[in-house]
Formats: sequence, C-alpha cells, structure tokens
Amino acid sequence: MTTGSHEIRGGDYVHGGSASSSLKESLKKIGVEPADIRRAMIAAYEAEMNVVIHAHNGRMHYVIEDGRLEVEVIDEGPGIPDIDQAMQEGFSTAPPEARDFGFGAGMGLPNIKKNTDRLAIESLVGQGTQVRFTVFLRSQGETGASRTALKIISQACTGCLNCLRVCPTGALRVRNNRPIVLEHLCINCPACVQACTTGALRMATTESEPKARKGACLVVSDSFLTQFGPGISTQQVIKVLSEMGFSELHILEEWKKALRKACILYARENTRLRPVISPLCVAVVNLIQTRFPSLLPHLAPFLSPVEAVRSELGSRALVLSVTCPCQYAAALASASCKDIDVVSVVGLRGAVMRRLATLPREPQHAVEDKPIQAAPADSPSLLEVSGIRHVLRVLEEVENGLLGDVDVLEPCSCDQGCFGSPLFPEDAFVSRHRLAQGHVPQDPLAKAVERTTPLTARPGMRLDADMSQAIDKLARIDALHKALPGTNCGLCGAPSCLAFAEDVVMGRADRRDCARGPHDTERTP
Amino acid sequence: MKLSELVSKIGGRILTHANKATEVDIQRIYAGDTISEILNAASNTTLLVTNMSHNLLPRIAQLMDVPAICLVNGAVPGSDTLTLAEQRGTILVISPVDLFETCGRLYLCFDGSFKPSP
Repeated sequence: MTTGSHEIRGGDYVHGGSASSSLKESLKKIGVEPADIRRAMIAAYEAEMNVVIHAHNGRMHYVIEDGRLEVEVIDEGPGIPDIDQAMQEGFSTAPPEARDFGFGAGMGLPNIKKNTDRLAIESLVGQGTQVRFTVFLRSQGETGASRTALKIISQACTGCLNCLRVCPTGALRVRNNRPIVLEHLCINCPACVQACTTGALRMATTESEPKARKGACLVVSDSFLTQFGPGISTQQVIKVLSEMGFSELHILEEWKKALRKACILYARENTRLRPVISPLCVAVVNLIQTRFPSLLPHLAPFLSPVEAVRSELGSRALVLSVTCPCQYAAALASASCKDIDVVSVVGLRGAVMRRLATLPREPQHAVEDKPIQAAPADSPSLLEVSGIRHVLRVLEEVENGLLGDVDVLEPCSCDQGCFGSPLFPEDAFVSRHRLAQGHVPQDPLAKAVERTTPLTARPGMRLDADMSQAIDKLARIDALHKALPGTNCGLCGAPSCLAFAEDVVMGRADRRDCARGPHDTERTP
Repeated sequence: MKLSELVSKIGGRILTHANKATEVDIQRIYAGDTISEILNAASNTTLLVTNMSHNLLPRIAQLMDVPAICLVNGAVPGSDTLTLAEQRGTILVISPVDLFETCGRLYLCFDGSFKPSP
C-alpha cells in the first residue's frame, strides 16, 4: 500500500499541481500502465486546481492499494451550492485571475468524472468541498486479466504442494509455506483454489452477502440456480432472487446461448480457420494468450458472457455474482468500470438459503415436455471441452492441426463449465442435470458483443527483450535442467525441474534451493 | 514527424531543450486555450499550440508527458516560464506569426489532407 498527503494553498497558481506531481511519481514507481496514470493526472490536477482557484486551502490525500487509486481532495472554502449545476459542462464560477491562466472553461468537474471510475462530491456552503474519486489501475504491459484475482492467506498454507501440481501454466511457487503467484503466468482459473484444502488460496471477493439496492441489477450464473438440493426448483430460486430488492435480474445462461449462436454464425461465415474457439471462459482466453498465442486468430471476436453483460448493462449499477477468479478479474478489468460490485456466490447463496428456509419445499418438475431435438442436417460440429487438463490437451491438438473437423470449440476450465466451480457445493454433473430439468426465463437484453480491441499475446513470457540474450538464457535453462534430478518433487517450491531451472536463470530462485540432485560441490554420502 | 523538422518548416525557433527536439516524434497537434481541453488532448506524441504563455504550462506539460508546447505571436515568455521549462524538460517553441497563421502552417506541413469544397 502506498499513501501520500499534500497541502494545497488557495490562490497559489504557481505551486498548484505539486500534489498531483507527487502522486504521479508514486504511480510511476509502482509501474502503472501509462494510460491509467494519464487519467489519474487529469483528475488529480483538476481537483487540485479547483482548490487553488476557489478555496482558501485544502489537502490531497491518496491511497494506492489492490490495483486501485483512491484520492480525496478536501478544502476549506465557499463550498458548492448546487453540485448538479457545477457538473454541467461550461458552468464555472472561476474568478478573472483564474481565467487569465486558462481556467474557467467549466470543464473541471466533468473532466474528473470522465477520467475516473467512481466520483463522489460533498459540499457545505460556507465550509468547504470534498471530492473523492477512484481510478482502477493496471500494471504496465498487462493484457486481459488485470490482476490476479486470488487472495493468498499464508498462515493457512501447510506446504502440501497440491496447488503447484494443478496449475496449468506453472504459475505457482511455494516457498517456506508461502504460496506465490507469478502474475505473468496466472490465467485466473480456479484450479489452485479447488486444489487447496486449507483455504490458503481463495478468490479475492469477500464472502459477505451482497447488499440489494434499488436501481441495481443482479447478475448470476445459471449454475447458481441448482445449488440448493433436490427439494428446491430453479423457479423458486429465481423467485427468491427477484424479490431481494434489485431492479433487474439477469441470468448468464441466456448470454452464453447468445454467444454460442454468434460463434456458430461466425464459423459459418469464416471457413478458413478450424476450429473457431469460443471465448466462453475467460481463463481459457488468458491461457491462449499465455501459452497458445498461435491460436489467437482462432478465437471468435466476441466478449465473454460476463464482459458482454458489463458492456451492455454498464450504464446501470451492477451486482455481479461470479463463480471464479477469471470472471472476477474480467468484471473489474477495464478503464470504465462504473458502478460494479463483484460478489462471490458464497454470500449470495447464504442470502438465498435464509429466504428459502421460510418457503415450502417445491421439488423440480419438468416445466414442459422438452422433446429431444435431432440436430438439423447442416448444423455445425460443436465440441464442448471442460476441465483444464482436457482443455490443455485439446488446445495442443488444435495447434498441431488435428481438430480441423470441429467447427466450433467451447473450452471451459472447470468441469462441465461453470457448474464445476470450486465455490459451488453441488457436484458439477448433478448441477448441470438439474438445470436441464429446470427453466430459465428469456432475457431480451442478452446478446453477444463484438470485441473492439484485439487480443494480444502476453509479453511476460519472453525471457528477454533482446533476442540474443533470450537465446543465451534458453541455453542456460536447458543446461541446468539436464543437471537437475528431473523428479519434479516440488521441494524447491517450483512445480517442475524445468520451471526451477527457468526461475534460477531469471533470478527468481537460487540454485541451492534444490535439495536433491548433483551440486557443484561433492555430494555427501 | 520529428519536432526539429516541423519547427524549421514553419519558421519557428526552439527556446529550451533544443537538443531533444531531434529525437521527439510528433504524431498529433492540438491547439487550445483552456487548461481543461489541453489536459484532455495531451499525450507524449502531441504538440500543444496555444495563445497562453504563462508559467503553469511547463508543469502541465511535465504532468501529462507532453514533449513540446508551441507559443505564438513571436512573444518570448517570461524568465520564470523559461526557467521552469528548462527544469522540467519541456521544449518551448516560438512561432513568429499569430495563432491562425501558425495553425495553418502546421496543418500544411503535417496533414494537408483537407481540400476546400469547390
């Protein structure tokens, strides 16, 4: 956590901006993406100069933590009688002196709003004004997952090393019973969360119940509806959710269906590359960016369902109940998060359970006869693959050109798709079966949203920016790997001897961390 | 276009950090006279052109990573502005003509794609 606090002197135009300059230095030192520094600077400077122009004195206080910048600018001054009026573009009460310097265009507060993700203004006439804003920050060079969405509780780690073995990209290290995530490799899939038996690795959301409020839309996954046992139908759950006090309820299944339709249509119109890969699971998209960048052209150019919801409903306040770290990161990753609250299913489930306890049990009955539809003659061949191990193998097959007979591939990192999220108590197969029996109402707003910014490979995989250095490092990794025992025991804290060799060459580990195997010195018998 | 090349084409001269001008690449030009608009338009490959010439400009340029600011009317700014520009690494350019003419010259050198309708 980084903090800073600076005085602002009213009327001091020459020194105005020094607080913003100091904030900029902190952001640069942390390595924040330049575009986010830019937004923060516009907002900070406008807020700081507002104090210089209008108030007697003031203070800027900032906190940088958890990928967020929170700034507070408080002043003692005349205050703002009508904040809505002050927010209007072109409205200004700046004195002539300020206008000489080019201020007074009436764009200050609108500029702050435009460049921040949250803004709150409070003011008392005759006392002063308080401006508080939030800017979500990304690290320089990040693509896709803005931050690893995992929470690590080291005290709970027992060093069992389960997580090391299940991570599909080898992003985990365990040193002295402390799990460490290499962010450039982490794809935000829940494999380690699932494997950890002591709760040392968790999703970053809180598990408290979401607060219902008017004007906010609740978004839940379809798999959430079947988490309440055989005595509760999906209709009952939907009823309870609809009566919790939110304005709208959206269920992700409709958005997943829309995405599937869009991918099938896209495959029909683009016959060159096979298979077309559906961006249904954000963790798989991250995996492709990290380990299979040659498959980026195969990805259908749409947003995942969670991102589509955020894009289409972003003007409303959203409460998103996510089932895995990748959805959490996708929901919050963006320059314009607006009013989005991300909650884990655990809290929401608790809230629903309490309300269900007061209702009579109503087991699931088939809503209508669902005839088994024979696939029409020209339907595309659509392959669903779930479970990260299967996804890895299938993506390798795609790379080797062995899956050309499949039109659309739908890969999910959890078993049976989101049904297999480790946050759900119910078994994935059971849960999926129950949903097929139940009925989800149609959502007229559900649609597939086209991706406007193309996906790129993650730069973090490169050994070195300089090609010749990279080749040299590769040779050293290879040589060291041959000298290691090759048992992948994990005692060094790395998932494999190859990963350890890379850690050593890249300066992340010491050669002597390997407790086994030949060393430079003589082995003691 | 390289800043040094652009400046010589419009007949301007560089007052501070002239040696940096040969390495600065300008991809965009924005002309404006209010702080809020130049904050929004600023970037590390943008040349800002303005009627203003006060001593807040160098700090704003440094804050927003703007490499250079072009002042007009041939008026050399005050010594405090020059000193601040030197300290903060901002390249100050002076154009000998007024804002309209300066923008016109820059447009011709830089873009020139607009053709008035016949």
